Amino acid sequence: MTQSDDIKIKVTPSAPNPSEKAVAPLVDIYEREDGAVVLTAEIPGADKDKIDVRVDKGVLTIWADGRSVDMPENYAATYVGFSGAEYFRAFALSDEVDRDRIQAKVADGLLIVTLPRAQAVQTRKIEITAG
Amino acid sequence: MAVFRWPNSLDPWSGLRQMQRELERLMGRAASDSRSIGGGIYPPVNVLNGSDDLIVQCEVAGVSKDDLDISITGDTLVIRGRKLPSADEQNVRFQRRERGSGDFSRTIVLPDKVDADRVEANLKDGILTIRLSKSEAAKPRQIRVS
Repeated sequence: MTQSDDIKIKVTPSAPNPSEKAVAPLVDIYEREDGAVVLTAEIPGADKDKIDVRVDKGVLTIWADGRSVDMPENYAATYVGFSGAEYFRAFALSDEVDRDRIQAKVADGLLIVTLPRAQAVQTRKIEITAG
Repeated sequence: MAVFRWPNSLDPWSGLRQMQRELERLMGRAASDSRSIGGGIYPPVNVLNGSDDLIVQCEVAGVSKDDLDISITGDTLVIRGRKLPSADEQNVRFQRRERGSGDFSRTIVLPDKVDADRVEANLKDGILTIRLSKSEAAKPRQIRVS
């Protein structure tokens, strides 16, 4: 990663209002050995200031604006394979996620959200004592 | 309408590629409805043609600067790179895997001759922008009627 910036997680009652044209970004979700879930979303073209990550009533929403990629003026499009997009996707969080310790950062067009598991639900090995 | 020509480039498929581009354009796969984002490991590109320069945009979300390699031979631009998988640690359990990972290479036949010494490449927020200055011979010139 070249550089990464931390994104502040907002906890607000109102989710962002994406336009109809918003597309769902591609995501990878995996669980680490310590139980934390890591979500990686591709949001190419979205600047750090145009990213919104929220947690509300057990729903994690990510919104990002990558529309700045659109065509510069006075250029003819010889070939167009992609265009800037507005990204929006929502995920239901399990109760096991510790809402207060969610972290998000952005680097090279990737948004990485780390969702740690609450201490209380982490797997605990119980020692058997000889009776 | 672009002029069909068969340039003396090193890429034997350049003519076919150009034809494919034209067909895609005719089929209406233009800027307005192109909705491909995060194209796996075949990154989508845009080629924009200005009066003095060409701009090539390539969508490479998650690819770092050090994993990109750009080269120009004649009028053929090649972008090579490596998209690393999301998890860099072992023993993880994937629940969803939509992003691709691996090596990729895209060859772009440029619509005009360019000056290979005057090329700028910039990577920002997962978009690679390459600005290529056209060679003097390829620039449009206004001819005065005397």
